[in-house]
Amino acid sequence: MKKFLLLLGICAVSSAYAQGGTLIIQNLTTNYDFHGNIYANNNTGGGCYPIVTSKDPDPIIVPAGVTAKYENYRDQYFSSGFPVSTWNVYLGAGSPVSPRPWNHGSLVPGGIISNNTKWSMSKFQMYHAGTSVPETYFNGDIGGTAAPCNTAPDVVTTAWGSAKWFTITSGTDVYTYLIIQ
Amino acid sequence: MKKHLLLSAIAVISLISCNNEATTVNTLESMKTPQMENFNKAFKSLGDPQNRPTEEEKQRNTSELSDRRKALLVPASKELILSTGVTEAELTRKTGGDMSQTIVWATQIYMQKSDEIRKNLKSEK
Repeated sequence: MKKFLLLLGICAVSSAYAQGGTLIIQNLTTNYDFHGNIYANNNTGGGCYPIVTSKDPDPIIVPAGVTAKYENYRDQYFSSGFPVSTWNVYLGAGSPVSPRPWNHGSLVPGGIISNNTKWSMSKFQMYHAGTSVPETYFNGDIGGTAAPCNTAPDVVTTAWGSAKWFTITSGTDVYTYLIIQ
Repeated sequence: MKKHLLLSAIAVISLISCNNEATTVNTLESMKTPQMENFNKAFKSLGDPQNRPTEEEKQRNTSELSDRRKALLVPASKELILSTGVTEAELTRKTGGDMSQTIVWATQIYMQKSDEIRKNLKSEK
């Protein structure tokens, strides 16, 4: 009950807030596969909760030279070349993780989780293309830098390549880009 | 004799077909249009030293790409949109010259094209 009230509260705080648009992961490298998990969270209230993370597959793999797209938790299941079938949902600090399928009512556009979260970051590790051999130091946490919830840097630079994260907003459409090169 | 001819014909045909197999191995990379490649290049160029965020741009509490850096993506975005048969006039009318709208539109086209390529590659296998 408490949790429900909390969620309701979160919604009241951020009613004009919907899972803002599409996440684009552009792996522009020619020799590294992207292995990563993607995160979304509430950045306007609720102590940064709920948090949603990709669970299955774990990790998402985007091959060298390929671009992946995630429109929202549901539609990506059909439209993405690298779809996520299960999302992990965290409703609050200390609350147990709740794995939910892509078509769960709270995750569909207009659903309570969908309405209150935005793409926020990715934890990734690059691997030599087509192998299970990681490029040890080509990895990182990267994400939006809007305070207070998003604390990962929006640029990761290594000797093997770099990554950057930004948004481009067209009207109410927010496109979030993760570029690895 | 007939059988021999038939057999050798089959052998020749299968040799040719195997040969073709090797030469038509397509990759996503090789099937990208020049406009798609330029679109990728434009995004890469954001990492060039002179195009990285300035101190001032870093101070903003937002992830939105600055106008200065958006401008770097616009020419390749336009090129990609026009390559689908959209005319300059339509482009101007639809976007009103808005950089974000242009880039987002081009991104949608890019994704559509790479989805098509991916599906073609799958059906070839």
